[in-house]
Amino acid sequence: MAFAPGDRVRVRPAEKPGHVRTPGYLKGCPGWIEGVLGRFPNPEDLAYGLSGIPEKKLYRVGFRQTDLWDGYDGPASDLLYADIYEHWLAPEGEA
Amino acid sequence: MSGAHDLGGSSGGPIDRSGHEVEDWERLADAINSALGGKGLQTTDQHRRVIESLPDYRDLGYYERWAAATEKLLVEKGILTREEIDEKAGELERRWGES
Repeated sequence: MAFAPGDRVRVRPAEKPGHVRTPGYLKGCPGWIEGVLGRFPNPEDLAYGLSGIPEKKLYRVGFRQTDLWDGYDGPASDLLYADIYEHWLAPEGEA
Repeated sequence: MSGAHDLGGSSGGPIDRSGHEVEDWERLADAINSALGGKGLQTTDQHRRVIESLPDYRDLGYYERWAAATEKLLVEKGILTREEIDEKAGELERRWGES
């Protein structure tokens, strides 16, 4: 699944066994593609001594803080950016 | 599965900001790590995964985690056995007592 800047996405809520590089607090949260950072060997496979191939696309994803935390009392304009690999992302309506 | 490092958003309590002098064994743990990396026997991704899987993660200091993870990883890869490590550790302990 390839995304372009501006696409609405949601972090997959899945519990994946083993080593995970996506923060738990972002799972299931909606956001948007802020940028495409390139392709890299999958660190979740490299962690087990595997090749990490095929490489995974890494995206910079933007989130509204109010979408992440219950009762967030900071300004509604507060944002958070996180770098998330493609296999952790789905179109917003699908995840 | 959330690893020990996946703490974002959880309540961690007060932060202990006290520092300490770096001890020789900590430098050694770091150096061994670099040497194993240089020899292609271990990577940062592998080491990080094993650090997060330590059952006593919370009870260990930073370099204690490094040393424990290096040991676990070398056993997992079949490069050293638990017995070989224990034997060497026992030998070093005996020598330490003699000096």
